[in-house]
Amino acid sequence: MISLLKRAGTNAVLFAFALVVIVPLLWMVFSSFKSGPEIFASPWGLPSKLHFENFAHAWQTAGIAHFFLNSLIVTVATLVVLIPIGAMAAYVFARYPFLGSKVLFGTFLGGMMFPQFLTIVPLFFLMNSLKLGSYSLYDTKLGLTIVYIAYSLPFTVFVLAGFFQTLPKDLDEAAMIDGASHSGVFWKVMLPLAKPGLIVVGIFNGIGLWNEYSLALVLMPSEANRTLPLGIANLVMVEHYQSDWGALFAGLVIVMIPVLIVYWIFREKIHETMLAGALKG
Amino acid sequence: MRNRGRTAFIVTYLAPATLLYGVFVIWPVLQAFGFSFYKWSGMSANKTFVGFDNFKQLFHDSVFWQALEHNALIFLIGGGAILVIGVGIAHAMQGEGRLTKVLRSVYLFPNIMSLVVVAILWEFVYDPNIGLVSSLMRLFDGPVRAGAPPVDHSILGSATKALPAVIVTFVWFAVGFYIMLFSTGIRQIPSEVVEASKLDGAEGFHQFRKITLPLLWSVGRIAVIYLVINTLNVFALVFLMTQGGPDRKTEVMLTYLYEQAFVNSDYGAATALAIANFVIVMAVSGIVLRLTRKDPAGASR
Repeated sequence: MISLLKRAGTNAVLFAFALVVIVPLLWMVFSSFKSGPEIFASPWGLPSKLHFENFAHAWQTAGIAHFFLNSLIVTVATLVVLIPIGAMAAYVFARYPFLGSKVLFGTFLGGMMFPQFLTIVPLFFLMNSLKLGSYSLYDTKLGLTIVYIAYSLPFTVFVLAGFFQTLPKDLDEAAMIDGASHSGVFWKVMLPLAKPGLIVVGIFNGIGLWNEYSLALVLMPSEANRTLPLGIANLVMVEHYQSDWGALFAGLVIVMIPVLIVYWIFREKIHETMLAGALKG
Repeated sequence: MRNRGRTAFIVTYLAPATLLYGVFVIWPVLQAFGFSFYKWSGMSANKTFVGFDNFKQLFHDSVFWQALEHNALIFLIGGGAILVIGVGIAHAMQGEGRLTKVLRSVYLFPNIMSLVVVAILWEFVYDPNIGLVSSLMRLFDGPVRAGAPPVDHSILGSATKALPAVIVTFVWFAVGFYIMLFSTGIRQIPSEVVEASKLDGAEGFHQFRKITLPLLWSVGRIAVIYLVINTLNVFALVFLMTQGGPDRKTEVMLTYLYEQAFVNSDYGAATALAIANFVIVMAVSGIVLRLTRKDPAGASR
């Protein structure tokens, strides 16, 4: 009886804390369906009518559609290059020890340790100085993509090297005896086997890049190139879009939804990877 | 047979990643140390070597110390709250049922969200006109007297409330990760140890203090290191919620760095601050690791 009460007590605490997490999020979603006056008058109430036009305003009038597209382009372009070149490097580190390979691997992992802001000023000038004619890497989607690839490599190489190490050793030997080349073994045997690792790396980097703010803030000043986080931040801080609260809430929901969907589908995998990264790193 | 083309393979497969990483990460890191010895406003002609002047200036800069103090407060108060809540919730959440898994996913979700969304959402939560918090504050206003000035419900605009408000947001955002860390730590405790302690009459809080807490030591160390790194490197949350204001009452190291570099164009000073920040993070982490080296679980046996 006492233990039953205790169990109920603990569960009450756990639910209460879940509410602390959920209430601000629900408030955001509810507000995104409310009219302007309703947002002021009844912050705790449910929307009396679903004002879908908030989403239309955010998407078109406030320009979220454009920022969404920019984010999609940069995120996808980064992943398309990052995953193959990260996997190639990770495979060599995991399977082909050479003189200095430990040091180089350590240098890659070091990138997970130091803060991004250590490099932000030199990086800003580097991007400004790298030019092809009048085309500069600064303030272009290509430039940001290259920076994103470089800064995502440490985590990617770390996770994938761990993956390749767990694959059985005699596999590549057998394939080599059959006459396959080093790269043949990698693309035809190892990479397909590492698919779960590639998915994990893709999800993690995808979420991180979709959300990224600081690098984009410094390297992407012009409105045409703004990614989603930059765009929504600019609406609130600079343009003071607060005359249309409903659209702002809708904008926040639009930024969050893709992440929420991916997170809920892959939540167990995300847990595992975060833990592995945290405890081994 | 096996060594055919091995070297060529290693070189070509490492090259793309190493090149990108070297040029865009390692090279700027090395450059940062160089930059910090120059007075520089961006035009290359105006670059003058000043030795340690940028660091001396930083040392005498009251804004830097104010910022560092706010970082320290976020670490001590926010980090402390995260440790207490993290261990407490993880302890209460024992077991691997469906419910536990769902709850864990809920707690972790803010950590997966964009900091931009978190910062703006909480800016709205604290908004004096539409916010959830101010609407609660209004309940305690009492009757309005004629001629009396309206009650001030601003939070992020208040010199005393802004920093606590930012800290609450930080805890809300980060705590799920630490709950996850601690629940894994608890699950790693061998069940025989827990059973044996129960036979010895250890229960509830007693069991928690004597068994769970000491055995969480190594996970706890990792958690504190993460807190050091994350609280000393707070940027987006403060930058978006308060821009360091009002009157620098929420300024942190990295918002000040951003201002020095991209508002004041004092790139040498900004880089010196970046290096100071890095050194402080490493030093505090080192001190934490050293102080916590003795494992009380081992010592008490």
